[in-house]
Amino acid sequence: MSEERTQGQDKDKDKGKQPRVTLQVQTPRGLWSTTAPADAAKRPVYEISTKVAQVVADARAVFKFTESDNKYVLLQGSAALDPERPLASYHFAGDTLLVLSVQGGNA
Amino acid sequence: MSVEPAVSLDAITTELADAVPYAASAGLALDASALGEGDLRFYITFHNRAGVKFYAEFDCRDYPLYPPTIEFTNETRTARGIPSLYPGGFHPTPCVCMRYNRKAYTERGGPHGDWRLVDWHLATPGGGPIETLAMIISDMHTKILDSPGRMG
Repeated sequence: MSEERTQGQDKDKDKGKQPRVTLQVQTPRGLWSTTAPADAAKRPVYEISTKVAQVVADARAVFKFTESDNKYVLLQGSAALDPERPLASYHFAGDTLLVLSVQGGNA
Repeated sequence: MSVEPAVSLDAITTELADAVPYAASAGLALDASALGEGDLRFYITFHNRAGVKFYAEFDCRDYPLYPPTIEFTNETRTARGIPSLYPGGFHPTPCVCMRYNRKAYTERGGPHGDWRLVDWHLATPGGGPIETLAMIISDMHTKILDSPGRMG
């Protein structure tokens, strides 16, 4: 963990807040980050107790993935993240790149 | 009915602006080096969780009026459309049996005479609509990751 992050987490602790993690999420409609898309109502900065499912829901909202019949899963490399697990359990480094997969049906 | 190659190329190029970074982030090699009005194909190398590679050709003639024809090839693209080139779990025709694949329709030898090509943006049973090249790549990537290996 870098000195900068440690200091940032300590600062949060001093304020009585949980440490936060900053993510990047690549979706089929673009990258979600602290700067993109420019008009995003939310940014992927989360308290580490946040569940993966919340990140999925927010990424869907930012890019208007409203098709509820599709399956939405966050991938880190080839591994699918468990929506019920908190971000802390994955020990993400800052700016970790995740991929939002969108899966349709099967005929 | 057909689409002028220049129109298809424009649509493909526009959509690749999302598809290329998506594929790169997912660890998929996307080769659009030959893409042009005379050749509306690009290629993606998928893999399952065991690292087995699958080579897919996207032939986008008449796109976006009609969906791409998606076919699995060998690495050198000298063989195509045989079960051993497909990931297990896909339709045994063999084909990627989704509305977004022209090969799934009867006119291309596929099983679906009940689907209309112009409706390709509609949902395939069991899911919602898959409407863009990047979403097609995402759908295939997720399914191939879960594939146990080759079909035949």
